[in-house]
Amino acid sequence: MTDLDLSRVWLIDPVAGREGPGELVVRDGVLEAFTWLEGSDAHGVDDLGVIVAPGFIDLHAHLREPGNEDAETVATGLAAAAHGGFTTVCAMPNTTPTLDEPGVLAAIHTAAAASGSPVELLAWGAVTVGRAGHTLAALGELADAGVVGFSDDGAPVRSATILRNALAYSAPLGLPVVDHPEDPTQTEGAEANDGFVATVLGLRGWPAAAEESAVARDLAILGEVCRDVPGVRLHLTHLSTAGSLDLVRRAKSAGLPVTCDVTPHHLALTDEWIAGARRFAWDAGLDGPWHDDAIETTPFHPSLRVNPPLRTSTDALACLAAVADATADAIATDHAPHTEVDKAVEFGLAANGISGIETALGLVLAAVDAGHLTLARAVAALTVGPAAVLGGRTRRAGTVGLVEGRPADLVVFDRSDRWTVRSDALASKGKNSPLIGIELGGRVLVTMAAGKVAYEAPPD
Amino acid sequence: MTDVIDGRAEAAELAVPSVDVAPGTQPVGWRHRHLLDVDGLSIADLDLVMRTADAMREVLARPIAKVPALRGRNVTILFYEASTRTRVSFEVAAKNLSAEVVNIAASTSSVTKGESLVDTVRTVEALGAQMLVMRHSVSGAPYLAAEVFGGSVLNGGDGWHAHPTQALLDLYTMRSRLGSVEGRKVVILGDVLHSRVARSNIWTLTAAGADLWLCGPPTLLRGFEAWAGRGAAAGRRFHVTSSIDQALRDADVVMALRIQKERMASGLLPSLREYAARYGLTASRLAHAKPGALVMHPGPMNEGVEIAPDVAAGAQSVITDQVTNGVAIRMALLYLLAGVSPT
Repeated sequence: MTDLDLSRVWLIDPVAGREGPGELVVRDGVLEAFTWLEGSDAHGVDDLGVIVAPGFIDLHAHLREPGNEDAETVATGLAAAAHGGFTTVCAMPNTTPTLDEPGVLAAIHTAAAASGSPVELLAWGAVTVGRAGHTLAALGELADAGVVGFSDDGAPVRSATILRNALAYSAPLGLPVVDHPEDPTQTEGAEANDGFVATVLGLRGWPAAAEESAVARDLAILGEVCRDVPGVRLHLTHLSTAGSLDLVRRAKSAGLPVTCDVTPHHLALTDEWIAGARRFAWDAGLDGPWHDDAIETTPFHPSLRVNPPLRTSTDALACLAAVADATADAIATDHAPHTEVDKAVEFGLAANGISGIETALGLVLAAVDAGHLTLARAVAALTVGPAAVLGGRTRRAGTVGLVEGRPADLVVFDRSDRWTVRSDALASKGKNSPLIGIELGGRVLVTMAAGKVAYEAPPD
Repeated sequence: MTDVIDGRAEAAELAVPSVDVAPGTQPVGWRHRHLLDVDGLSIADLDLVMRTADAMREVLARPIAKVPALRGRNVTILFYEASTRTRVSFEVAAKNLSAEVVNIAASTSSVTKGESLVDTVRTVEALGAQMLVMRHSVSGAPYLAAEVFGGSVLNGGDGWHAHPTQALLDLYTMRSRLGSVEGRKVVILGDVLHSRVARSNIWTLTAAGADLWLCGPPTLLRGFEAWAGRGAAAGRRFHVTSSIDQALRDADVVMALRIQKERMASGLLPSLREYAARYGLTASRLAHAKPGALVMHPGPMNEGVEIAPDVAAGAQSVITDQVTNGVAIRMALLYLLAGVSPT
């Protein structure tokens, strides 16, 4: 099926900044026409039903290939992306071997081609050789080979001097450096957000200050480097605390070339889930789940172990506010699939990470339903926001919106069609989702990438 | 000490469960299959455990301290952390109830190469375990075991999280001596941050109406002020202080916690010498508490560090009571859980 006829649906074009009732036609994979409906034709079409948006762009996913193919492969990762409505995925370089030289990039591009998936695979190269933090990776060669920027994600760029040099060196390459902000001296052995829940459960705390001091360090360095070197760009990924977002907000208003993203799980979930609560961040208070009877299930579920950790409702609401006011440029999934062997263990021994690319839309829509984001802003943070971080380095450069005459790259989802997250409903090999058994809205009906069907919901 | 006798007598008047019964008889009023934490125990649950422990104390006073309640049951004791007193206490308790006891000392060091906890639990179950007593260095580990184990899991201490039988034996010891802990000033002194004993005692003592005080240097109380604040908001009497004078003034019970040498390496304390000087429970400090205030310690003690030897062995010390009561409490819990455990 490379034809699609959608009449009387809700269209969202984040490039034009417009949304409303419309019709859309795809013929032979090409977006032949899309039309806004006016007046009586538009009557009865609202944004609670079938919605069409440009395909989503994920700045942050772990596809585990090469080296950890039992957790995920490029093929299963791209299938999961398509199921989640994503048509462009940026893979993180913390594979084995590390993506710190062009050969590894070629290998994953070969795997993507072999998968037959039309989803666009992009990749970050490592900042340092082996992500060990000591010497710069071959940044220029990686840029020539097509990486979209550099990151040692999984760990911060430990040395401030290396970060400074990486920012400066990558500026003329036109690429950003992506940092995972964490001061490791504050997080040794950390298991959960340093707060009330961790205190009660006896988990080692991961303080907000460990992230915020790293963000402050990065911004201070950026402030100096950008005075001397034109074109420097810093992107901070998976920010999780109110304080971090405040720092970025101030840096942006001071004109620093910084962008950032937040994850769906930090928008919607809190550390209360580790205690056994199962309510979204905006429904949680500050008193903790024990005193208001919010405990629904057993505590310590290893699927909730993630880095940075799930924070408090105050932090989650700050993340939502940051998406709303565009302090956060993008919502990125930090999709981190793991095998059962690595996850079905004691909480403190479980691998960090949530398999999240297929539940991202559902969590974001839950926040929209609760009134914490507009639909348009949520879609922008999944499309034009990340596209701007990538600059021109996607095949959709300049065409992230719904553009007539171009190969269709879009997602069709039904906001009111709820689905239950089950292991066998996830295309990812990583079944490590804390949302297993939970119902989410916005079931994806069709994902088209580069004019081809990447995902189509099975008939009921 | 008349109040002690009265307290015991009052408890005994309530329906003391009969333990001189055939195996398989159901205790009335207990509904928990596992004992993983104490946060889910109601006041009625606490009372039932205490009354059952009273009955077990009577058994322990007999010439032959043995009843057939758990005859034919397999109680497997799986300890991932070194322990002598808790393991032996569980073993004695299970044997007093005529259970078959299997002891396994396991190692967490081989988690990546060796057998996972889930596999180990499935293996011990296949070998006949019906009740699993478990100690583990990672907080929450018994919840994972309970997910896969077909019988009952008793948490014998997990990481910093919980030590339910210790908190219950502590409450039992206090009630035995004081009658009730309602309104009594109870001080937990020392390394609260790393203490599962402190965390479990917070739940049980505040639920039972004690006026609870946590005391230690701020580095070892990190995060507990927030817990105390929320507890107070919920009507519980719960305070945190680094002033040992304020904590000990008119206290009814002082429980000292073990200080481990690792705390110096991680920069939480300058030295054991300095800790002993500032927070050690000495006779002169104890004099600020109420006359006859109880001195407790969950063991093992570092005498001369968190507690002076003369205080540990003094007239106010109930530390050996804690050990004896520990057997009674563990007998009570094994008995209660066996009643709801699938066989």
